[in-house]
Amino acid sequence: MIAVLGLVIGVVVGLFVQPEVPDAVVPYLPIAVVAALDAVFGAVRAMLDGIFNDKVFVVSFLSNVVVAALIVFLGDQLGVGSQLSTGVVVVLGIRIFSNAAAIRRHVFRA
Amino acid sequence: MSLLTNVMDHGLDEGYAEAAAARGGARDSRIPRTARGLLTLGAGLALVGAVVTVGAVNARKAEPTLAKERDALIHRINDSNGSADRLQKQVQDLRRKVDDTQQQALPSGGGDAAGLAGAVGLGEVTGPGVKLVLEDAAGTGLGGNVDPRAGQGFSNSGRLRDRDLQLVVNGLWGAGAEAVSINGQRLTALSAIRAAGEAVLVDNRPLVPPYTVLAIGDGPKVLDAFEGEMAGSYLRLLQEKYGIKSTLSVQKSLTLPAAVGVTLRTAQPATPEPTPTPTSTAAPTATPTEASTATPGTPISPSASVSPSASAGGGSGSGRRTPSGAAKTTSAHSPTTASTGPSSAGTGAARP
Repeated sequence: MIAVLGLVIGVVVGLFVQPEVPDAVVPYLPIAVVAALDAVFGAVRAMLDGIFNDKVFVVSFLSNVVVAALIVFLGDQLGVGSQLSTGVVVVLGIRIFSNAAAIRRHVFRA
Repeated sequence: MSLLTNVMDHGLDEGYAEAAAARGGARDSRIPRTARGLLTLGAGLALVGAVVTVGAVNARKAEPTLAKERDALIHRINDSNGSADRLQKQVQDLRRKVDDTQQQALPSGGGDAAGLAGAVGLGEVTGPGVKLVLEDAAGTGLGGNVDPRAGQGFSNSGRLRDRDLQLVVNGLWGAGAEAVSINGQRLTALSAIRAAGEAVLVDNRPLVPPYTVLAIGDGPKVLDAFEGEMAGSYLRLLQEKYGIKSTLSVQKSLTLPAAVGVTLRTAQPATPEPTPTPTSTAAPTATPTEASTATPGTPISPSASVSPSASAGGGSGSGRRTPSGAAKTTSAHSPTTASTGPSSAGTGAARP
C-alpha cells in the first residue's frame, strides 16, 4: 500500500515538478535510470525470496545510481565514456535479466 | 569466464542475504511491518519513481530541441536558396544590361554584337542540329558516377578519351556545325578539350559520361557530312573495337547555352592606311565596356581561330594595320589570355 503510494508520489513529483536537470548531470541520467531499475528488480526478487530489507534496498539503490554515474563520469574524463557506459549498461542489464528470471520463476513456478 | 559467472550468479544484491542472516535466517520478511520500514520503502520507491520519470521526461524534452534545430537549419537552407535565386536573377539582369550597353556603345552601322555573340559562343543559340551521344563501353565500371580513384583510368581502352572528343568536335565543325556544346558546355574559339587524371575536361570543367555533343547546323546535311568524313569512321571504329557506343541523330530544335567566363572583343582594321596614329584613333571609340566594334564579315572559322596566333592577332589589331591586314579579325578573348589586357582592348578598338 505505502509502496504503491511512494511510487505514485515519485512519478507525480517527477512529472509535475519537472526539476531542471543541470547540463552536467544530463549524460548520466540514462545510466541512473538503468541502475534504479536494477535496484527495483533486485528488491522485488528479494521480496519474493522472503529476504527483503528496506534499508538494504534504499542504500543499494542510492549507491548503484551514484557508482554507475561515477564510473561513466570517470570514463568521460578519460575519454572512454561511451565504452564504460556500455559496460555499465551490460552489467546492469544482465543483473536485471537474471533478477527478472528469478521473479518469473517465483510467480509462474516455471 | 569467472567474471561472467559472477555477474550471472550474483544477480541479487548480497546485502539482502546478509541482512536476512543477521536477522537469524528468518525467511518470512516480505514487506516491512514497522512504520519506519514502511516509510523507508515508500521513500525509496518514490525516489525510484522520480529518477525514472525525470529520465523519461528529459529524454522527451530533447526531442523538440532536436526538431527545433532541424527546423532552424531547414529555414537557413531555404533562406540561402532564396538569396541565391535573387542573386542569380540579379546576374541575369546585369548581363542583359551589359548586353544593352554593349549594343549602344557600338557605333552606328558598326555591327551586331548580339548576332556576333551567338556566333562566337557568347550568346545562347537555338536552331536545328544534330545530337551525338557517346558512351563509354559497358563494363568499364564507371557509367554515371565517376570515382576518379577507383577507375582504371584511360588505360582501360573502353573509355572515351579527350582526343577522341577533340576529333569528334573537329569533325562536327568540319561537317558544317555552327555551334557546338558538350554536356552543356558551349565551345568557343578558345575552348580546350583535354584530360586531367581520369576525367575529360572542357574548359577546365570535368565531364561525366555519357557525353552529349550538341551541334547546331543543317541537321541532315551535317549528319551526312559527319558520317562521311574521318570522324564518322573513327567513331565506327571505336564502336567496333572498343564498344564505345555513339548515337547520332538529327534534332529539330536545340538550344545551346552561352559560354561563361569569356569577354567578347572584336577588332576591325578597316580601310588600309599606311601611317595611323594609334593614340589619336584609339580615343574616340574606346568604350568603358571594352566592347568595340567589328563587322563580322567573313564567317568565323573556329578551327582557324583556335590557334594562338589568331587570338594574338586580335589583340594587336591596330599594330598590323597594313594593307594586307584588311582582313577582318574576330576573336573572343577570355580574360585570362595573357595578351589581352585592358590596354590591348584599347588598341583593338582603334579605328581610323
